[in-house]
Amino acid sequence: MTTAALVIEAACLTLGPFSLRNLDLTLAAGEILVLLGPNGAGKSVCLEMIAGFHRPQSGRILIRGRDVTDLPPEQRRVGLVFQNFGLFPHLTVARNVAFGLRTRRLGHARAERAVVDLLRQFGIAHLAGRSPQHLSPGEKQRVALARALAARPDLFLFDEPFSALDARTREVLRDELKAFLREAGVPAVFVSHDQTDAALLADRVAVIDHGALRQVGTVASVFRKPANYFVAAFIGVENILAGRLLPRLGAMSRIRVADAVLHAAGADDAAGDVLLSIPAEEIGLRPIDGLDALGLCSSTNRIAGRVSEVRSMGALVRVTVDCGFALVACFTPREARALGLSPGQAVVAEVEADAIHILRDQVNCR
Amino acid sequence: MAERLRRARGSGVVLTCWLVGSVLLAFIVVPLLGLAAVQPVRNLVRVAAMPDVRLAIWLSLLAAFLTAGCAAILGVPLAYVLARGTFGGRDVVAAIVDLPLAVPHTVAGIALLIVLGRQGPIGGPIGEVLGLRFWGTLAGVVAGMLFVSAPYAVNAAQIGFEAVDPRLEKVARTLGMGPWGVLLHVTLPLAWPGIMTGLTLTYARAISEFAAVAILAYYPMTAPVKIYEMFLQFGLEDASAMALLMLLVTLALFILFRGLARRRARFAGAGR
Amino acid sequence: MLLSAIALLAAGPASGQTLTIFGAGTLAAPFRQIDAAFEKLHPRAVVHAQFGGSVMMARKITDLHQHADVLAVADYSVIPRFLFGESKAADWYVGFARNAITFVYTEKSKFAPEISSANWYDVLARPGVQIGRSNPDTDPSGYQTLQMLALAEQHYHSPNLAAALLTNAPRENIRDTETELLAALQLGQIDYLAIYRSDALQHHLRYLDLPAAIDLSDPARAGNYATAVAQTKNGDLPGKPIIYAVTVPTGADQPELAAEFVAFLLGPAGQAIMAGNGFGNVDPADAVNIDKVPASLRSLVVPWPSD
Repeated sequence: MTTAALVIEAACLTLGPFSLRNLDLTLAAGEILVLLGPNGAGKSVCLEMIAGFHRPQSGRILIRGRDVTDLPPEQRRVGLVFQNFGLFPHLTVARNVAFGLRTRRLGHARAERAVVDLLRQFGIAHLAGRSPQHLSPGEKQRVALARALAARPDLFLFDEPFSALDARTREVLRDELKAFLREAGVPAVFVSHDQTDAALLADRVAVIDHGALRQVGTVASVFRKPANYFVAAFIGVENILAGRLLPRLGAMSRIRVADAVLHAAGADDAAGDVLLSIPAEEIGLRPIDGLDALGLCSSTNRIAGRVSEVRSMGALVRVTVDCGFALVACFTPREARALGLSPGQAVVAEVEADAIHILRDQVNCR
Repeated sequence: MAERLRRARGSGVVLTCWLVGSVLLAFIVVPLLGLAAVQPVRNLVRVAAMPDVRLAIWLSLLAAFLTAGCAAILGVPLAYVLARGTFGGRDVVAAIVDLPLAVPHTVAGIALLIVLGRQGPIGGPIGEVLGLRFWGTLAGVVAGMLFVSAPYAVNAAQIGFEAVDPRLEKVARTLGMGPWGVLLHVTLPLAWPGIMTGLTLTYARAISEFAAVAILAYYPMTAPVKIYEMFLQFGLEDASAMALLMLLVTLALFILFRGLARRRARFAGAGR
Repeated sequence: MLLSAIALLAAGPASGQTLTIFGAGTLAAPFRQIDAAFEKLHPRAVVHAQFGGSVMMARKITDLHQHADVLAVADYSVIPRFLFGESKAADWYVGFARNAITFVYTEKSKFAPEISSANWYDVLARPGVQIGRSNPDTDPSGYQTLQMLALAEQHYHSPNLAAALLTNAPRENIRDTETELLAALQLGQIDYLAIYRSDALQHHLRYLDLPAAIDLSDPARAGNYATAVAQTKNGDLPGKPIIYAVTVPTGADQPELAAEFVAFLLGPAGQAIMAGNGFGNVDPADAVNIDKVPASLRSLVVPWPSD
């Protein structure tokens, strides 16, 4: 079994009014973990703790099997990249990159060669003598990565490097970064408040709020099966419904929501109030005709309702249906035109049983 | 029409600022020009030829330089902890640093004499053990100058440090550099413009100090003391000739300092 | 509230006459008393007095063109030297007080218990004794100190006296103003200070009782005093008795009021205040250029005895 890239064991840190409570986190070799959470959740503090700028009051931090809890940042072998990439403005690109070589104690000549090699590897050799002030974000990212890589880190840490960039530039840089990390094989913790970063970069996602982890898992599990209300709301699930668990039906759970009964895949013998999450894109709509069967048909839930709002959101159309409770569905403009939906229209909403997810952490209470 | 009005109002702000500001500029420049205007050049030459005039100017330049050096060694670290520190008494420390600005200069001189004089709690032992005396010596001149000019060094350096993004220091640490290395290779170079401004102001303030210095050391004579002596001995014309000479030398020095600071900033990024 | 503040500032001194006096630093204490007494006699008069080095006060009038109604200096020769001549800032003066130059000290001074008028020149020459003095190039008491030491050499038949003493009073111990010198004495930086006897009495300091032959206090010995010469940057200055002189400069704004002030100074009340502050009297007051002296004062003075 290969050594885990990063292990945080029961770390507790209090920093003024803020605290990390019993944080447990593991990162496998070569893995990219995205630490996702709203502003003020403690993502940056957590990152700085890993880097060595805050010492946890209890717990341990191991990087590639080494216990670094007591080590100062310069001995932890981590590479740090900040928003705006943190290039030293008083040094040229070449000297910025050379900065990372200091600890390796190469001779003057070998260090110079190493810098040249790195610059060439990142395609920025032509920028060697330039000041970092006037580089494009893409160029800056490459310099920052080259500099960090020069120090041969065991772990990369990224603190919202794309926050200040426009969407298009973000996309390009994100792709470049992912390619770089894959090739370098160095594991990374990437902090962000943007789920798109998580969706496109992460092997695993950890959602954090107020210093505590709310859910850790693969992108698919977090986005498809949020564990609790916070995660569901944070990742932007449009439909979070409150209901009451009824006795189960075979392998499916039955939940009463307002006047309807919904069937969700996966059953256990719990009871009480639950929250359900249903992504908008999993809801289909059809104009009703008198012969429609409602309720559960094979594994599809069919609920009758009336369209209450049709709103264009640019690339998508959001349709809100009143079924005794609100259901939000979204379609492409083409689909919406084909369905001919308009407010007041009577429709049938169709949802697959396995698209309805019960927020397990919140069985019995909200 | 609205656009033109808006533009006019915008440039109106700048114009008004220049009008008001030029009053201050005139307030500074006109008296100094007045000093220059009453001087025939040959008077300047004659005064410049006096050896004790040149000696006094040289002593002032040297002592102010030493003062700036002391302010740098002692004041810049203080500015660093004031900028970065989060300790409770920060406001008190900053207020103490500014105190000398409010103390009348004669009082400052007497206070220094009390402490650094022959019988003083610090001056006595230092005199016995190290043979370093402050009464009538260059050390005394520097002590007087340092007391009145140190606040400028600390305040400007503090601003310089506050302008350095602490995240850059963090990145440098992760790249393997220890705290001292970060201070030397990242923080100081980036704070340099602020520090340099502070030291220039310190130098300027030190060189012009009269009362505090004169109590500790009348001889050796610094330029302000010599100018006053010349006024008593020879009158206004000769005294203002020496004052003008002093100003010209100082002006040349300041231009040199600014040029050096700028050149260093420019070359800091180029490879060695 | 702003308006009342402005009104207060504008009201300033009670409307009446302002008398501007420039005086030597050592005259500060007696003149403050004299000014108060004068203001009582002349209720509409307000006295604004400034004190500083005699030469500085003279230069303020000649070089900085400030208007003073009365100028009083510690060495009578300052007036002809600076104010007669080109600037024509004054054309007469009256000697009105005497003083003596001596050494003052405190009980903390080195050898204070054993120093006396008999052994002072030996004690002051001992190694480790620090003596302070004023700048001979700019201040009367500075060159008067040197003249006194030269006279002492003659008087005690001790040819090396001045040099030995001055070793303990090097340039480092020279200061410009009385304030600085007294502060240095009180802080123990210097043990002995060459200054006027009136200062000793005013500041409650001990002082040496030096013979009149050397302390420049007796106008009758002017001839003898002239044999002692002080070498300064202004040339060689022969010794003169310490006589304080007063004049009304030609540029005075209030010449009549100024003349009344001088009359008060020369009168019994003024002379009593001077004596009470440790100054010697000049009785009757001597005037130089008596024909230029204002008529109201002429009865109070006699021509300066020529030597």
